[in-house]
Amino acid sequence: MYKIIEHTADIGIEAYGKNLEEAFENAAKGMFAIITGNSKIDSKIKRKIELEKEKDEELLLVDWLSELLYIHDVEKLVFGEFKVEMNDKLLGYAFGEKYDRKKHKYGMEIKAVTYHMLEIKRNKKGVTIKVLFDI
Amino acid sequence: MWNGPLVKIGDYRYEIPKTYRGINGNLKMKVPALIYASDEMITSIRKDNAPEQAANVATLPGIVGKSLAMPDIHWGYGFPIGGVAATDIEEGVISPGGVGFDINCGVRLVRTNLKINDLDKEKIRRLVDELFKNVPSGVGSQARVRLNRSQLDDVLQMGARWAVENGYGWNEDLEYLEENGCMDAADASYVSEKAKERGKSQVGSLGAGNHFLEIQRVAEIFDEEAAKVYGIEKDQIVVMIHTGSRGCGHQICSDYLRVLEQAVRKYNISLPDRQLACAPVHSKEGESYFKAMACAANFAWANRQMIVHWVRQSFENVLKEDAEELGMYIVYDVCHNIAKFEEHIVNGEKKMVCVHRKGATRSFGPNRKEIPAKYRNVGQPVLIPGDMGTESYLLKGTEKSEEAFGSTCHGAGRVMSREQAKRRWSGKEIARKLEQKGIYAHPASWVVMAEESPDAYKDVGQVVNATHGAGLSLKVAKMIPLGVVKG
Repeated sequence: MYKIIEHTADIGIEAYGKNLEEAFENAAKGMFAIITGNSKIDSKIKRKIELEKEKDEELLLVDWLSELLYIHDVEKLVFGEFKVEMNDKLLGYAFGEKYDRKKHKYGMEIKAVTYHMLEIKRNKKGVTIKVLFDI
Repeated sequence: MWNGPLVKIGDYRYEIPKTYRGINGNLKMKVPALIYASDEMITSIRKDNAPEQAANVATLPGIVGKSLAMPDIHWGYGFPIGGVAATDIEEGVISPGGVGFDINCGVRLVRTNLKINDLDKEKIRRLVDELFKNVPSGVGSQARVRLNRSQLDDVLQMGARWAVENGYGWNEDLEYLEENGCMDAADASYVSEKAKERGKSQVGSLGAGNHFLEIQRVAEIFDEEAAKVYGIEKDQIVVMIHTGSRGCGHQICSDYLRVLEQAVRKYNISLPDRQLACAPVHSKEGESYFKAMACAANFAWANRQMIVHWVRQSFENVLKEDAEELGMYIVYDVCHNIAKFEEHIVNGEKKMVCVHRKGATRSFGPNRKEIPAKYRNVGQPVLIPGDMGTESYLLKGTEKSEEAFGSTCHGAGRVMSREQAKRRWSGKEIARKLEQKGIYAHPASWVVMAEESPDAYKDVGQVVNATHGAGLSLKVAKMIPLGVVKG
């Protein structure tokens, strides 16, 4: 689950999960919901992402989302489903398809993931992530 | 709502005193912050946290003069947008946050010999449609040429000159670009594989968001003499291009924010906001960032140069006349997201400083060697884009701007979020409204059209009047759009 948050010149997401992995997955979902204006994305193509685990979880989150943004920009792919595993590394899978102007409409062009107001919080229910994008 | 102290210290000048301790009560400003604005603009400026960000910038190691903000100040990441900060090159820092993600986002103005009477509605419509066809725009827009790795390295190191040498434009174009369209410090070996990969397919594309390409009419002349020197007169047709370094620049900024984030710890710098990440100007990290940033700046100049080429081609195709006969020369090209080493007066002495301009434009007055010879008596042309469908301005730089390290405003500045704008209007509705004003728009997306509605921005006229009043730049001409290509 995620929720889109707004600022005057920018946009971000608040994502939730019962653990860090799920919160990372939902943050990615939210990011692509912004990019595609909430379009339906079919899982036809799979991409694997491996990241060195950072001590700093917030940096790891920025790395994860930035990597997806990079693949999106270079391969023109959009993703709708994610699977994240964390051991000594972050191992992530993204499922999606080629971006199609007609099918995926037009959301916003996200320039980058920012560190501003970046937050990962834990409580009894799980993990909440807050992240803002530069658009 | 920001409730900190703003002391009026002169016309169009409000200061946050050095004694201000910030929202959390522990801020240590090294210099005061100064916001340029008219009295009427202060209420709106207090609406977001941008003034606090100007105060935060004042804590950076080695900052000289004051932490400055232009009248179009609004909330940004780390630095406010509309922020200017100069740092000492020996003791100061350089910060990617003081430049922004869209490195060398900028504006270019192309003149023509055409007058408003030479174009009717039908011709404008055909020109706009032709431009839309020839200049790739929109989310993830891909260029018409895909470069290989060695060509891209050349773009990163040569900037606009690469484009001209490869047939995109005229030799004399380069003379009328800030830095002649190339920062020499660029070294492509400091640019990541990822940034290069993103750049390969995007040089020569407009992108999305607030970027645009407009056919404009010169509606009003404020300064006949300067306008004449710039080759501008009333009712003339001009073309304005507003875009930056695309995914390549965004990636370079992201990569180096990560590097400098680590450097903050290494050099033991204490910051009120993580996004102000920085490193000493002459550290390995600081120098590496600057070399890579210069590559992104060069990418943007090549990008705008290729677009100019297609603009000329589009006019030739529709009007069946040669671009040279049409007098389609470049008036000037400015960047409004950049860091540069420039000579300025600090405490009465000439000194090299590192000037960060994030949403601010260089505004050099007469006699600076950086200005093309033709303009040296009047000062550099300053280009201020409006937002879609509102007026844009041509200004001239002043000696007075030296108090702001030779800087002035850059545009309008948002006042409403994109989501709010989308909820309030539909894209088609906006197109209809523009049509009533005699403006034909061809957007890549109706949604972006709604997000970028003119009413979502500060009044650019108010911003320009405030910098005119403060003397940072003076009004030369006002242009209004006839046709818009939107990303």
